[in-house]
Amino acid sequence: MAGSISATADRELVVTRVIDAPRRLVFRAWTQPEHIARWWGPQGFTTIHCDMDIRVGGTYRFGMRSPQGTEHWKRGVYREIVEPERIVFTFAWEDPDGHPGYELLTTVTFSEQGTKTRLTLHQAMFETTEGRDGHVTGWTSCLERFADYMLTMA
Amino acid sequence: MALDHLSRTFSALADPTRRAILARLISGETSVTELAEPFAMSLPAISKHLKVLERAGLIVRTREAQWRPCKLEARPLKGASDWLERYRIFWEQSLDRLEGYLKELQGKEKRRGRKH
Repeated sequence: MAGSISATADRELVVTRVIDAPRRLVFRAWTQPEHIARWWGPQGFTTIHCDMDIRVGGTYRFGMRSPQGTEHWKRGVYREIVEPERIVFTFAWEDPDGHPGYELLTTVTFSEQGTKTRLTLHQAMFETTEGRDGHVTGWTSCLERFADYMLTMA
Repeated sequence: MALDHLSRTFSALADPTRRAILARLISGETSVTELAEPFAMSLPAISKHLKVLERAGLIVRTREAQWRPCKLEARPLKGASDWLERYRIFWEQSLDRLEGYLKELQGKEKRRGRKH
């Protein structure tokens, strides 16, 4: 496993991972329900529902159960599907009443690296025009300083 | 932490001036005039930013003192940071499982004598 993670300056999450499998297989694992059901979610979680209409504008809804028995549902819309390079979709967890919460835009790109595949997952925390400007000075560093501050308070 | 609170936190943090104000407040209570100093901005403009931060619950303004100092409020930032961390864990663990699953899948394909 080779990978890294960073929370970039503007509330975005970037995860990269080099996976020892050919790109077409990795892409399939992200776009076919029978595959997704086998790996989606944290360790110990089981997929209890998985429907996906994999086309631009198509929706998906996944349900998973935690080891403690709590159900978690998420849904979204596919915005872009470029086989075998890229998938873009929205992502929102549902509250207990089934209403979708905060919506995120997730972009997953697959690039060939020899016989392996480099996967890059990019998740934008929100999409306001305001949020796109002037994010170079990091709110991350703000949070880090804040964490230090918390330590001094403890 | 409720999601609408998070939205407010993230919106408030989306502006570099507001982030700079928060960073400044880490070192302690500060007056509006002092906060305005490093920026080429009028006091009313700074006050607008402070209102956004106040609504997001990121700062509190004391009413007791005449100069109404601003104070950093820790909890919402902690919530935003925890929220990011939860997603980080979610994706890391999902990708761990994806790797394991693909390994298993490829093993099966090989055993069946198929080539990719």
